[in-house]
Amino acid sequence: MQNPSSHKRKKVLPVGHYRGLGAWTVFFFIFLYLPIVVLIFYSFNANRMVMNWGGFGFDWYLKAFNNDDIQNAVWNSLIVATVATAFATSIATVGALVLARGGNFRGKTISLGLITLPLMVPEIVTAVAVLIFFSAVGINWGLGNVIIAHITFCIPFAFMPIRARLEGMDTSLEQAARDLYASEWETFRFVTVPLLMPGIVAGAMLSFVISMDDFIITLMVGGAGSTTLPVYIYSMIRRGLTPEINAVSTVLLFVSIAIVTAYWVVSKKGTD
Amino acid sequence: MIAAIDIRGVTKVYNPASNQPVKALDNVSLTINDNEFFTLLGPSGCGKTTLLRLIAGFEQVSGGAIMLFDEEIVNLEPNQRPINTVFQHYALFPHMTVADNVAFGLERLRKPRSEIDATVERVLTLVKMKELGDRRPNQLSGGQQQRVALARALAPSPKVLLLDEPLSALDLKLRQAMREELKQLQKETGITFVFVTHDQEEALAMSDRIAVMSNGEVQQIGGPTDIYEHPVNRFVADFIGDTNFLDGEIVSFDDDLVTCRIGVQSMFEAENSGGHSIGDKVTLFLRPEKITLSPPDQASNVKTRPGKVANIVYLGNQTAYTLDMGDGIELTAQARPREDGKLPFAMGDSLAVGFSARALRVLAQ
Repeated sequence: MQNPSSHKRKKVLPVGHYRGLGAWTVFFFIFLYLPIVVLIFYSFNANRMVMNWGGFGFDWYLKAFNNDDIQNAVWNSLIVATVATAFATSIATVGALVLARGGNFRGKTISLGLITLPLMVPEIVTAVAVLIFFSAVGINWGLGNVIIAHITFCIPFAFMPIRARLEGMDTSLEQAARDLYASEWETFRFVTVPLLMPGIVAGAMLSFVISMDDFIITLMVGGAGSTTLPVYIYSMIRRGLTPEINAVSTVLLFVSIAIVTAYWVVSKKGTD
Repeated sequence: MIAAIDIRGVTKVYNPASNQPVKALDNVSLTINDNEFFTLLGPSGCGKTTLLRLIAGFEQVSGGAIMLFDEEIVNLEPNQRPINTVFQHYALFPHMTVADNVAFGLERLRKPRSEIDATVERVLTLVKMKELGDRRPNQLSGGQQQRVALARALAPSPKVLLLDEPLSALDLKLRQAMREELKQLQKETGITFVFVTHDQEEALAMSDRIAVMSNGEVQQIGGPTDIYEHPVNRFVADFIGDTNFLDGEIVSFDDDLVTCRIGVQSMFEAENSGGHSIGDKVTLFLRPEKITLSPPDQASNVKTRPGKVANIVYLGNQTAYTLDMGDGIELTAQARPREDGKLPFAMGDSLAVGFSARALRVLAQ
């Protein structure tokens, strides 16, 4: 076992072999992350002006925290993300079960394509389509519209890790459960779901983050009173830059990082 | 004798509606007795695993009936059959402890908690895994997982236990030790074992009776010595153990013996199993261990033929010699090493090759 792998490793050219690649990589990461670091840095600025450093302070965090509009936007974002995640994950779980365990049925390949298609459709197209749909059908439920729109684009994100988990699952485990006197429902409840859980949690976290971050669709679909945090931040910028935006963005960033990290840990744990 | 499982004319066709239907079992009938260690033996693709899966209920029969203690079971779901399975790769639930795995079947049968706990402890003791009840399956070695899988299948006291090549993933020493334990376990529990394997040694060592299968059909059913000593056809003789085959023609026979011409002019006598007539094309078979080899000058009074060592394969506890008998005939024989460990014969040695007519049998073509 050891020989082939070490043999393989030998064949790969060491990265250090290319002169200047290290410096280039460092430059790339600076380009990618410096703006974010600057944004975080200035969120602790005590000065009123965004780009003039006036000492360290949490003033803008406090100000943002006490801003009713921001509070509303945060609540809207959390409600939308939570409800959309719950629905999207449930639908994705059922879809993944049918596609992985439902045997061969007509339209299976097409179903698989359709469920993952929203990943490739430009967001603006989805946004316009959903907007037209809502006005044509006459649905005007405020935040409800936003939630429905979010469910549609969260499904494929929730679907992928769940399906990956199911595909890797040994079907003989479910057979063993049936063999040991479990009904179909008990097999699902005591064997399939617990084993699928890492995939379901990963899918839920992914769709939560996607929903929290969404801007284009929310902007198009959401009416007055259904402003989410990303949409609110955008409107703040139009009124003039203050470190308050930095503070809110930083909080949003760390929430996203926390969830993505949790997703990574959960999906990593599921593979052992 | 009570029949535990009665397979009546069972046929299984995969993809019957497609243009490439696969016939996995063709009109198979056999009876497995109560309290018997029964083995389904055959090469991969012979249908033995399919038959096991039909008994367990994971597949539906295409035709025929399966009776469990005189009760038709083909229409029952797997969870409605009082039959448990030990899976080839154990299929232990990775999210449960060893004890929870073993308790699973009993919980589904809604047994009282006290009874479940007592049974789990009893079967874990039976398979010598009592101390490891709190472990997860991924913390166990292959042999330990094997024991847990056995305990889990035995815990609900099934009427029949199915074992799907359970030893194939273990290394040789462990496999040999587990053979005896399985046999012992079967005797202790009194449960009917249906064991699937492609390993003829395993089958001979453990079984009360063996069904040899090939191409979706049962070739022969019998005890280990029946199968080994009296194979009904060339497939069985070839599949079980090493064999010399001699193709020829019957030239004469009496009540005891038939005389066959092999090659151009060599005459071999074999036991008359009846029903032969002069001119029949037959195959004789002769097990290598029935042949005695000796230097020509030390030949005993047994009738011998001259042969020459054409090839030697060293196997440790014995050595396989390929002998050129002349007339285009080759025989494989075995000899033990001498006490000093040296090989008794060398390449090119001329030997006296002895075997009695009773060791040769006529096979149906």
